Amino acid sequence: MDENLDNLVICSKCHTVHKKIDLPYKKVAKCAVCGNKLYSDVENAFYKAVSYSVTALILFVVANLYPIIKVYIGSNQSILTIPSMVATLFDENFYVVGSIVLVVIFIAPLSVIFSYLALWVLTYFKIYKNFSKHIISFLMVSRNWAMVDIFGVSILVALVKLFGYAQIQPGVSAYALVLFILVDLIFLKSIKPVELWTYFSRAYDGK
Amino acid sequence: MMENRYIRCPYCGSVNYNKDEVIYCRNCHNKIGSKVEANLHTAWAMLVTAVIFYIIANIYPILVIDKFGVTSQNTIIGGVIALWDEGSYPIALIIFFASVFVPLLKFFLILYILTNYKKPKKGSKKVDQAKLYHFTEIIGPWSMIDVFVVSILATVVHFGNIKITAGIGATAFVLMVFFTMLSAMSIDIRLIKEGASGN
Ligand SMILES: [Zn+2]
Ligand SMILES: [Zn+2]
Repeated sequence: MDENLDNLVICSKCHTVHKKIDLPYKKVAKCAVCGNKLYSDVENAFYKAVSYSVTALILFVVANLYPIIKVYIGSNQSILTIPSMVATLFDENFYVVGSIVLVVIFIAPLSVIFSYLALWVLTYFKIYKNFSKHIISFLMVSRNWAMVDIFGVSILVALVKLFGYAQIQPGVSAYALVLFILVDLIFLKSIKPVELWTYFSRAYDGK
Repeated sequence: MMENRYIRCPYCGSVNYNKDEVIYCRNCHNKIGSKVEANLHTAWAMLVTAVIFYIIANIYPILVIDKFGVTSQNTIIGGVIALWDEGSYPIALIIFFASVFVPLLKFFLILYILTNYKKPKKGSKKVDQAKLYHFTEIIGPWSMIDVFVVSILATVVHFGNIKITAGIGATAFVLMVFFTMLSAMSIDIRLIKEGASGN
């Protein structure tokens, strides 16, 4: 090889090739052609993602334990939780829908959180380099399948449909879910693959 | 011209040398590009399957309401029309956009890429193709909204005298989303980015 490919980065949106430069603390590099974010100050982005994944985990547990909304129709009352929703779909024999819903709003988001935490531990001790590689790949795939934000919007749409027929009260988990979605969008989903791989090679090879 | 020497791994984002053969990413070892023709067959098969599920999802009810023993059913379009008649225009538009328009847009884009890859094109047009593909990748998952809404309603409206359940349409719809994703994933990244370099 006559050049180091690690010094290049390609825009995910318009595929223009750029040369990487070392960024000062908290700075972001953007594509010269389309303005898409290429990468940001690597250490900062990674540690932010890791520390917020702890927050995200706590919020996610709360969001799953308590009702998201309480619905009253006449003298009937019911609650919505993520586990009860999946259970209902399986009870009604909608296994395909139930499985996909389970993956996109439960398994995938948890996978993202635990991947960040595992990656942090492994790079801290500089052990299991190959396993870390798999974790990064797994993290990227899980992130594409995590759809809690879309689920959040869907709850609002469902409320509009119920409006008029039912009385609705937000539960504790409604607040936890909103906070989780914000943390997820701002810190966990915004980190670029290039940043993770740069962090990875710095952590193990000290480059 | 420099741009075509390199290719971005869609899995890990790292830069690889571009070749006219099977490429394995030097970083994550995933297959970035294979023999273009073989890939096209998979992409076509997945696309046709997705279109069939899309049609089924639109014919069969996505939602079944059982009220005092009387059942009524809602298709995707039926649900949109009902919301529109009730005056919930923004929600009707969101559902229409997410459930009807986004999948169609993805179908046509994949179809366009699959049928036009051989024709040489002017640089500017290909850049648009890359941007459009990127755009549909981002909005694609939003087509799940209606499935979530049905699941939520089926969970909270579950009483003796009134009960909502999902319909066969919902199953067809998630399968459609799944196969559309597979089809888009099996398109060789080189077909999309080819002309991003200009000429
Ligand atoms: Zn760009
Ligand atoms: Zn790769």
